Amino acid sequence: MKKIIAVHSYKGGTGKTLTSTNLAAIYAMNKHKVALFDMDFRAPSLHAILNVRNAKYWLNDYLNGVCDIKNVIVNHSDKVGSNLYLGLANPSTEAIREMSAKDRKWEMKALGRLLSLRNTLLNDLEFDYLIMDTSPGLQYSSINAIVSADTVIVVTTMDISDIEGTKRMVHELYDLFEKKTGIIVNKVPIEKISTLEEREKLRKQYEEMSNLPVIDVVPCFCDVLRLGGNTIFSLEKPEHPFTKILREIAAKIEKL
Amino acid sequence: MKSREKTIRKNEIQLLEKIKESLDKLNEKMEIIIDLQKQEPRSNIPEQLPDALDVMTLLSLPDHLRKTAITICRLGRATADEVAEQTKRARAVESAYLNQLVLMGYLKKERVGRKAYFYVEKEEK
Repeated sequence: MKKIIAVHSYKGGTGKTLTSTNLAAIYAMNKHKVALFDMDFRAPSLHAILNVRNAKYWLNDYLNGVCDIKNVIVNHSDKVGSNLYLGLANPSTEAIREMSAKDRKWEMKALGRLLSLRNTLLNDLEFDYLIMDTSPGLQYSSINAIVSADTVIVVTTMDISDIEGTKRMVHELYDLFEKKTGIIVNKVPIEKISTLEEREKLRKQYEEMSNLPVIDVVPCFCDVLRLGGNTIFSLEKPEHPFTKILREIAAKIEKL
Repeated sequence: MKSREKTIRKNEIQLLEKIKESLDKLNEKMEIIIDLQKQEPRSNIPEQLPDALDVMTLLSLPDHLRKTAITICRLGRATADEVAEQTKRARAVESAYLNQLVLMGYLKKERVGRKAYFYVEKEEK
């Protein structure tokens, strides 16, 4: 089933971009047509991770109403060997400054344009998935993405401040917009969940503790850090345990 | 004899339907009047009326109005019927909520023949 997924978090550095890029790659490898959008206008990163320097138009331009979404989408399929398309955020300081100074009226129009993506991307351009990587916390661009998504995936660490913030955010924000939500607890020390049973036990513990739908707990792998974030991990290392866990998560999200 | 009974019953049903329709209309009007009364103290200061239905505003709306407002954002421009179809609530209810959102300054309303269309704001081309 066609889906728009927003990947969000309460705090920064939890692994949103890592999750969204890998989920996009996994769905694309499974023969789906996938669009991956960098909606983190305050700290764009997708252009650097995937080394795309030739974008003529940015998502900023689409939201500003100066171009069509077709002009923004960059075909990245050749590079990864699957149906992956990108929408990039303008990384220039000028663009970041401009995006953070938008007024309420602009944000309202931006929401309208994001909502219309359902029709243009999923129906007209026949995409199966749109995955939006967002800015952490309660920001206009992130909430706009959440409102236009079908499913919201929240990536949190084990940090108590992160868990508590996530809990509040889900109950006081997502629930108001009636969003399907899934939580991923990331960067869990591997010794805590070295077996499948331990992983499932910890997942249940978090679920009961936070009263949130926890999809999975993901161990912290130094191998992921070693790659320095300049590639999509699951494409580089398809047999790695991290990739396998992400594949399981991707399948669970499909069923949400 | 039987056919006479049938005609009487049919007339009764028609009458009941008419009454129901009138009641629905009345209910709709009452809702608008109630809303108007609620709005009255604020109507003296029109410059305070909000002009944007952005996400933060959506968050501040009560649950029942938020659902209607998001549906309009999604549809762009729609009648109460079209909104009701999406929200699975009664048309009369949606009509009252939509009119309330118009009064609050968040939506605009336009009549085309017998139909009333609601929309957020027209895109400037």
